[in-house]
Amino acid sequence: MGFTPKQIPGSSALGGISLIASLVVAMASPALWAESVSYNRDIRPILSDNCFSCHGFDPKKREAGLRLDTREGATASNKGVIAIVPGDVSKSALWERINSTDEDEVMPPPKAHKTISSEQREKLRKWIEQGAPYEKHWSFESPVAAALPPVKQTAWPRNPVDEFILAHLEEKKLRPAPEAGKETLIRRVTLDLTGLPPSLQEVDAFLADDSATAYEKVVDRLLASPHYGERMAVDWLDAARYADTNGYQVDRDREVWRWRDWVVSAFNRNLSFDQFTIEQLAGDLLPNPTLEQRIATGFNRNSMFNEEGAVDPEEFLAEYAADRAETTAAVWLAQTFNCCRCHDHKYDPFTARDFYSLKAFFNNVAERGAGNHGAPIRTNAPPQLKLPAPEAEAKLQELQKLLAAAESTKAADQIKTLKKQVQEAELSIPTTLVMEEKKDVRPTFILMRGAFNSPGEKVEPTTPAVLPAMAADLPRNRLGLAKWLVDPQNPLTARVAVNRYWQQVFGYGLVKTSEDFGAQGEMPSHPELLDWLAKDFVGHGWDVKRLLKMLVTSATYRQHSRIPPTLLEMDPENRLLARGPRNRLLGEFIRDQALAVSGLLVDKSGGPSVKPYHPPGLYEQVSTEGPYVTGKGEDLYRRSLYTYWKRSVPHPAMLTFGSPFRESCSLQRSRSNTPLQALNLMNDTTYVEASRFLAERMSKAATDAPGRLAFGFRTVLARPAKPAELTILEKAYHRAFTDFKNDPAATKALLGVGSKPADKQLDASELAALTTVASTILCMDETVTKP
Amino acid sequence: MHPYDPLHVNRRQFLGRASLGIGSAALASLLNPRLFAAGGLISAPHFAPKAKRIIWLTQAGAPSQLETFDYKPGLKGMFDKDMPASVRGDQRLTGFTSGQTRLPIAPSVYQFSQHGQSGMWISELLPHTAKLADEICVIRSMHTEAINHDPAMTLLQTGHQIGGRPSFGSWVSYGLGTMNENLPTFVALVSRPSGKTNAQPLHERMWGSGFLPAKYQGVRFTPTKDPVLYLTNPPGITAARRRAMLDDLQALNQSTLNEYHDPEIQNRIDQFEMAFRMQASVPELSDLSGEPATVFEDYGPESRKPGSYAANCILARRLAERGVRFIQLYHRGWDQHNDLPSGIKSQCYDVDQPTAALLTDLKERGLLEDTLIIWGGEFGRTVFSQGKLTADNYGRDHHPRCFSIWMAGAGVKRGHVFGETDDFSYNIVKDPVHIHDLNATALHLLGIDHTRLTHRFQGRDYRLTDVHGNIVSQIIA
Repeated sequence: MGFTPKQIPGSSALGGISLIASLVVAMASPALWAESVSYNRDIRPILSDNCFSCHGFDPKKREAGLRLDTREGATASNKGVIAIVPGDVSKSALWERINSTDEDEVMPPPKAHKTISSEQREKLRKWIEQGAPYEKHWSFESPVAAALPPVKQTAWPRNPVDEFILAHLEEKKLRPAPEAGKETLIRRVTLDLTGLPPSLQEVDAFLADDSATAYEKVVDRLLASPHYGERMAVDWLDAARYADTNGYQVDRDREVWRWRDWVVSAFNRNLSFDQFTIEQLAGDLLPNPTLEQRIATGFNRNSMFNEEGAVDPEEFLAEYAADRAETTAAVWLAQTFNCCRCHDHKYDPFTARDFYSLKAFFNNVAERGAGNHGAPIRTNAPPQLKLPAPEAEAKLQELQKLLAAAESTKAADQIKTLKKQVQEAELSIPTTLVMEEKKDVRPTFILMRGAFNSPGEKVEPTTPAVLPAMAADLPRNRLGLAKWLVDPQNPLTARVAVNRYWQQVFGYGLVKTSEDFGAQGEMPSHPELLDWLAKDFVGHGWDVKRLLKMLVTSATYRQHSRIPPTLLEMDPENRLLARGPRNRLLGEFIRDQALAVSGLLVDKSGGPSVKPYHPPGLYEQVSTEGPYVTGKGEDLYRRSLYTYWKRSVPHPAMLTFGSPFRESCSLQRSRSNTPLQALNLMNDTTYVEASRFLAERMSKAATDAPGRLAFGFRTVLARPAKPAELTILEKAYHRAFTDFKNDPAATKALLGVGSKPADKQLDASELAALTTVASTILCMDETVTKP
Repeated sequence: MHPYDPLHVNRRQFLGRASLGIGSAALASLLNPRLFAAGGLISAPHFAPKAKRIIWLTQAGAPSQLETFDYKPGLKGMFDKDMPASVRGDQRLTGFTSGQTRLPIAPSVYQFSQHGQSGMWISELLPHTAKLADEICVIRSMHTEAINHDPAMTLLQTGHQIGGRPSFGSWVSYGLGTMNENLPTFVALVSRPSGKTNAQPLHERMWGSGFLPAKYQGVRFTPTKDPVLYLTNPPGITAARRRAMLDDLQALNQSTLNEYHDPEIQNRIDQFEMAFRMQASVPELSDLSGEPATVFEDYGPESRKPGSYAANCILARRLAERGVRFIQLYHRGWDQHNDLPSGIKSQCYDVDQPTAALLTDLKERGLLEDTLIIWGGEFGRTVFSQGKLTADNYGRDHHPRCFSIWMAGAGVKRGHVFGETDDFSYNIVKDPVHIHDLNATALHLLGIDHTRLTHRFQGRDYRLTDVHGNIVSQIIA
């Protein structure tokens, strides 16, 4: 980690900034961004949204021979009609048509249900008058490291991120928010980097540290924590569509958790993003690959596998390879390649040939198209790797010897038993799904309209034509593809990656559509910053921890997250970052936090997925397999990323908080807010038991009610309760205490929830009352939110 | 003031709505709670709706049209004859039958007769439905592209064979919002067959919201102590204790709101309040003990078993009465690859009487006129036998080229048959209706132009009907 935050001379440097008013001048216009017309920022989105689907890149859908996605096309004479005459609006047919009131003339046509607003028309007019300059789509141009912009409040920035953010704020006549308090900061950054809350000891240590580097020390500690990898893995598991079952209708178990552990470890080891890419896409093709490098290739075996009876293997081989191409394009290039499976892209310069040429890299896996119903459950579909398991292997060998001996004596009963035991022992040796090339080459064809049984022209493995070509010395296989993706000449990979880390920390990416950097995606809110970060990332060896450290130590990140009403209206999504990020936690971390503050969390990393509490009856109704068998002991209290993920019935608590099904690549989660989430937090055994354990901690932490309540509140939220909050908690506690005192049956019932018994040494009425207060604290908006 | 109160429109929501291009007439209706139901994208219907709600009776696994609604008397004399190759054309077979040396014709062992003034041909397996022949509109010319269950069901539900898109109910929640602030907008109910038959698994995705926010997910009601997941308070927590705890929580959240001014905090307060209301409204709704004995008699003997299709039909009526907009039942077990005669008889026993009772019940309560009912599965079945054909036993494989469904209620023609298949019920010869057409028509009846209910995802404006869908005006009354 070579990055050092810009030092500021102590906290007094912040004194010059108003600690109250973030908004200095109210804006007359709600427009967030600059006024002058630029093709990429202003014009392409209008043309793309309204015109390109009929006058764009796809020649098969092009109407009247007109294309507007190139200047040549737009300015060409089409039977004497010219769509755009640069510099002359009155001669431009486009201008006439978009302003027409005649239903047969007006563009876009009424049946498209599209409208060009008067503001957009004005932009088009200005642009044509300026000579209608076209630009290559921004994300296909190489990033340019801009000079840091000049700022007025020179005392505020702590590092280059802040210079870009502040310059933009100053342009908008806005001021940054004051820095958040230390308790808020440590809770925010600990949740962001580990998915867990800080312990009270950690909070106290930070509060006691007056040095200028106190916060940086916390960040370094968190980046070195083994929980860092567990937090970072969650977003990557969504991207990689990781699950513990094969998906589709039959949806039986598979074994690929070892790949998940590889991801956790890779983040913890701070494997550089380029190597992270290469090993996952092509670890098996590296010279003398290590076991770990082969395990890493499980990334592309996370695609689903259809075990439904009587499916056509060819159909699904086509499906698996296409899924890999789409996932690769989405994760590394943020391009919607799924569109070109059936036809050339309507908005972006990608052809169906590009799609199938990319697919060709993944079409040569030594795999089956359809499932094998006869195989026992949890038998992975090849190719797979047996993992070293010395104990299990020794046991297997021993059983095999016994079997041989029994066979020589022809002891029929014994043979039968031993055969069964041998089979069980074989299955107990863990395996993991990996990529492996077929010996002979399976040819790849363009599939007409995407149909597996309509092959067209044959294609070779090639990268998309519009992007810089693969270096001549790269092999035309997955390894070459992976190296091409992380070639510094690739304009997309680094931008796409830094944008996702930005999204993870600030809630939205600099490009909000983090999955789409194409013409229909959003323009970056701070293009220069995105490019600067991308260049810096590559320039410093794709060092992910260093990047995250820069983000979370920035003054931008450290702002208070309260929202002045005027700013809410102007920038509800906080894209300008005139305040700190405040977002609901992912479902995984809401649960992990409750386990952590209650002391129930089992701090054990990796291994086969576990089955924590689960509502009864969910599997039986929809699946053919037996009921969900809840785990025991430690399995109930592991971090949520280790929860068994069944694709057809993912854990309902995760779905309720907006997780994807993990059937295909997903790069953003919705942050919906629903009554089902409230019910989950109030009534799930997970939270009721965690409340009781938090209550036990509270009970033991102090002898009087105020002390206990203050302890519980601070344990969860890292900050002390305000007097008004403490009053609410005290009233709640005393009411509940009297209530439970008079109702021993209810007390016993509440304390009996969960698999761990209550501490008999504690007064039951007190404990029940504290449990209800602890539950209320765990349900608070502030609790489920990054502050 | 709760979040579904149309009067509760803050400036941010107002700007949000305005930026969606909603006209001034719609904005005016924002101020009149009686003019529309709150919370949806479309604050006013595109045109006058005929249906306020949909009850989709999904027959999962694909019922055979040849034993239910597509009468083929000509097959009687063709028992065990090979199906002509010209009829099959280039239709692909599944792996179940592609290895068969013969494709022998299996006429239905069940009799058909004509019913009602319309003279509709209906199988003897559906005597109760047959009595309502003059209420329903049968479409014999449905077709799809998918040939395996999961892709086919996904297409039926989401307009696309591959998962990831919102289900029909999610689109409707998203577009029209709620009519009852105490209940979910979209409810799914799943039942298992009473008989021993191959019950194809389902997938939560079928009622998932795809790329729409999670709040538009269908909420699955289960016949357990928690009809909705995590609904019930833990042991020892009474409703009164819960209320008191929620008051504490609200006071704490209000304090955070006062400090941060984040509208999500208000939203969270509102969602906890709705959760509390659901704790009262859902058990009341799911508790069938107050239903008179005559209701159970009407819906049949299975209706007393919680979680059965029949019990779910009673629940469907109760949900409809309470303003739930999209109610989707799934009855599993229609996948008769073998032993079809016994399997389908048992399935029809499960669904025939309760379905007919539901229709009658809704009609008597005046709800049928604004409820659209759809009954059907994800594809049809082959005229030829899968596996061994005997005089009284056979199986049927998946068949995407034609299948039968029926619709009834709001805005649909009564006692009407639409579409026609060839003598083998293999190809459509008249008025084909694709799933996209069915969905476009159902949305139309809800007052929604299917080409205008869109959501932008990955740079593209998606809709339920993808780039397809024609309204089947011939079945609209």
